Amino acid sequence: MGASSSPGILRTILGSCVGICVYDRMKKVGGMAHILLPNNPGDGNPEKYADSAIPLLISRLMKDGAKKEFLSAKLAGGASMFKFNASVTLGQIGERNIEESKKILEKNGIPVLEQDTGGSTGRVIDFFLEDGRMKVKAGGQEKLFYKV
Amino acid sequence: MHAHIQQRIQGIINNLDQLPSIPDVASKVLTMVNDPDVAFKAIADEISKDQAITTNILKLCNSAYFSKGKEISSIDRAIVTLGIKEVKDIVVVAATREILNKIIVGYDLARGELWKHGIAVAVLSKRIAVLKNQKAIADIAFTGGIIHDVGKTVLALFVQNTFREILDLAQSRQIQFSDAEKEIMGFDHQEIGEKILTKWKFPEVLKSIVRYHHEPQKAPAEYLPIVSIVHIANTLCLMAGVGIGADGLYHELSDAAIKTLGLTNREMEDLYGDMPRVLDQASGIL
Repeated sequence: MGASSSPGILRTILGSCVGICVYDRMKKVGGMAHILLPNNPGDGNPEKYADSAIPLLISRLMKDGAKKEFLSAKLAGGASMFKFNASVTLGQIGERNIEESKKILEKNGIPVLEQDTGGSTGRVIDFFLEDGRMKVKAGGQEKLFYKV
Repeated sequence: MHAHIQQRIQGIINNLDQLPSIPDVASKVLTMVNDPDVAFKAIADEISKDQAITTNILKLCNSAYFSKGKEISSIDRAIVTLGIKEVKDIVVVAATREILNKIIVGYDLARGELWKHGIAVAVLSKRIAVLKNQKAIADIAFTGGIIHDVGKTVLALFVQNTFREILDLAQSRQIQFSDAEKEIMGFDHQEIGEKILTKWKFPEVLKSIVRYHHEPQKAPAEYLPIVSIVHIANTLCLMAGVGIGADGLYHELSDAAIKTLGLTNREMEDLYGDMPRVLDQASGIL
């Protein structure tokens, strides 16, 4: 997990994991959580589960001076294997990661403005802390998400 | 299918000089380890002949992942302290680093990503082998994990120009990426990998791992468990984004592999959730 103020770029590579980019548009501070699974069993690394990583990220940003009412989020990742037997629960982990991330963000009153999620593609994401834009590179193509 | 691409790849396979090489010591050690009549001393002497690789091997023996605490300063000591199987794995790490630790253009892997992927799959494969009572083959699973994608180093050049077609075919026909590679180029990276291992004179079991890691159900019955282990480890590492390239997750998670190993849903999720620790361990080898 990374949190810092501008200038700076946070980069991560995602498969079924979800990258959650949170930004304060007024203070221009932001941070990224990279979660592997939706729910922390209790003793897991808090940075790797949506339900513990997102609150942790928010509290770090607030420590850096962010205000909750100015925060917004962008999501990327949550891909699934192209083919798997439906009885294998890990196969749905990408979708569960997206769902839980959205739920925790909503609980904290943080709107999700843009997302590039799902499918079977791998994603490299860059989160630019100068203005909160997110660049997603997937399957050899780049997309930019500007809303903050 | 592009006939001219198929011909060019066939040309590379026919002319062994064009396939990547690794130091001879690796295949010699792999053969010697399997021969019960060969003394450890003979293996240590064989490794020690290659001064450059010996230096790297000793460094790895003392790394966080392999070290047993005591400083190791000779190959003899390494074999006594770590055991012959562990030293064999270390020889393969040292011998293959140069050819795997580079940019893999067509698959869009930056320098070091394929290497990191191989090491992570190796570490996780060993863990799965131990978890599922296959400890006797844990070292082979580790070796297979390192090199399973070696075919990508050769095929990448051709994938670079055909990537869109391969991906489109995979999507339109609902087939996995490696099957689409074969349809478009006449070969997939598993087949090329097997040819490379033939050049290196590596044993059949490792060839099977490389050849069938995306389709373990097609592996010879005797190698099904070990191919399944590397298949699962590869899948979990890709899902975690480790070494995930332009081919993304356009692969199949084999039900046959899960059933062969008797992995439960809980075990699969726990292994996946443990990826951060696997990566920590792997970083001690990089």
